[in-house]
Amino acid sequence: MAQSIFVLYEHASGYGLFRVKEFEEVGMLQPEVEAGVTDLSKFKTVVNLTAFSPFKSGTNALDNMNSISEGVLHDDLRLFIETNVPKSSKKQKVILGVGDSKIGASITEEMKVSCQHTGIVPEIIRGIRVHFHNLVKGLTEISASKAQLGLGHSYSRAKVKFNVNRVDNMII
Amino acid sequence: GRGGFRGGKQVVVEPHRHNGVFVARGKEDALVTLNMVPGDAVYGEKRISVEEGEKKIEYRAWNPFRSKLAAAILGGVDKIHMGPGKKVLYLGAASGTTVSHVSDIVGPDGLVYAVEFSHRSGRDLINVAKKRTNIIPIIEDARHPHKYRMLVGMVDVIFADVAQPDQARIVAINAHHFLKNGGHVVISVKANCVDSTAAPEAVFAGEVNKLKAEKIKPQEQLTLEPYERDHAVVVGQYRPPGKN
Repeated sequence: MAQSIFVLYEHASGYGLFRVKEFEEVGMLQPEVEAGVTDLSKFKTVVNLTAFSPFKSGTNALDNMNSISEGVLHDDLRLFIETNVPKSSKKQKVILGVGDSKIGASITEEMKVSCQHTGIVPEIIRGIRVHFHNLVKGLTEISASKAQLGLGHSYSRAKVKFNVNRVDNMII
Repeated sequence: GRGGFRGGKQVVVEPHRHNGVFVARGKEDALVTLNMVPGDAVYGEKRISVEEGEKKIEYRAWNPFRSKLAAAILGGVDKIHMGPGKKVLYLGAASGTTVSHVSDIVGPDGLVYAVEFSHRSGRDLINVAKKRTNIIPIIEDARHPHKYRMLVGMVDVIFADVAQPDQARIVAINAHHFLKNGGHVVISVKANCVDSTAAPEAVFAGEVNKLKAEKIKPQEQLTLEPYERDHAVVVGQYRPPGKN
């Protein structure tokens, strides 16, 4: 049975879905991906962007980030996967590579998409992290880091402001 | 009163061997960085203005007793792997005092991803980051990099000052996520925090071995005497290029 691997990449600016070139054996994939981590043209021969969905607003981005960091499937992400990841069939098995086990478990449980977060997947995600702004049209290195900056501030501010599990106020 | 560096013209600032770091030569020499936000002190440190023709440039004094990175520089570390335009993942950012100097060093084209878990110091860190737009504050546990994976891009160097018994592991998992091939780690190791019963030298050697097991090749190690006791800074390279 043929396998096709997709990889989900969550960025401060939105969700990206990448398709990994098909290989007979995963063993052959490893060296190509490792070389691609440093070389964009090589990386593009192995991994290609199939979809990108930007967050609608800062609040929307924060909402999604909170879900991702807790490993919860956000509605936006569900919609994104539903629209862009093809269903597994008898001939073609679809595997979705994800960033950690928790989000993988949530996706598998709620959407019946089989997920993987080990093996070749972390290496591919490393490569996407290097080249992301070159792979998504309309995104530059500067605008990508601006998105991180904005989201970093709002995420951190929310953490510091309100967290029922943590009280570290000094008692004087 | 206003003592110290406010001498104005008698003080001469020279570039340090490390790109982005400077030395102010006055009555006493001091390590300084170019203030990205002139007129603003982050934690009450001294500032030195130097006139260059018409322009006034401001530097901030960097105290090695308060910053392990400054102590390492004065202790003669060979390379800090941070310079203008570099991207740095800073683990254990605390209130952002050293982070502010790193932000000066990397300048407007660089980035500092500053991770701190404690909410109390996190508040100060956020305030420092408000004025310095090259700092991205991340209030999260450095043990779980997957929680902040949306915020961090690929970096050139990881600096860690986390003072945790499992710090080698913390650095390694962050490197696997965010450190580019051939990038560097600069780790401050406090012997007491790893194992308070063993000899510091043994602890440092143990930490170096843990790094080796994680594809981090140790390149240098120096103690932070006389600024800190039983501390060492270890520099290493992640997935060094060459033999595959």
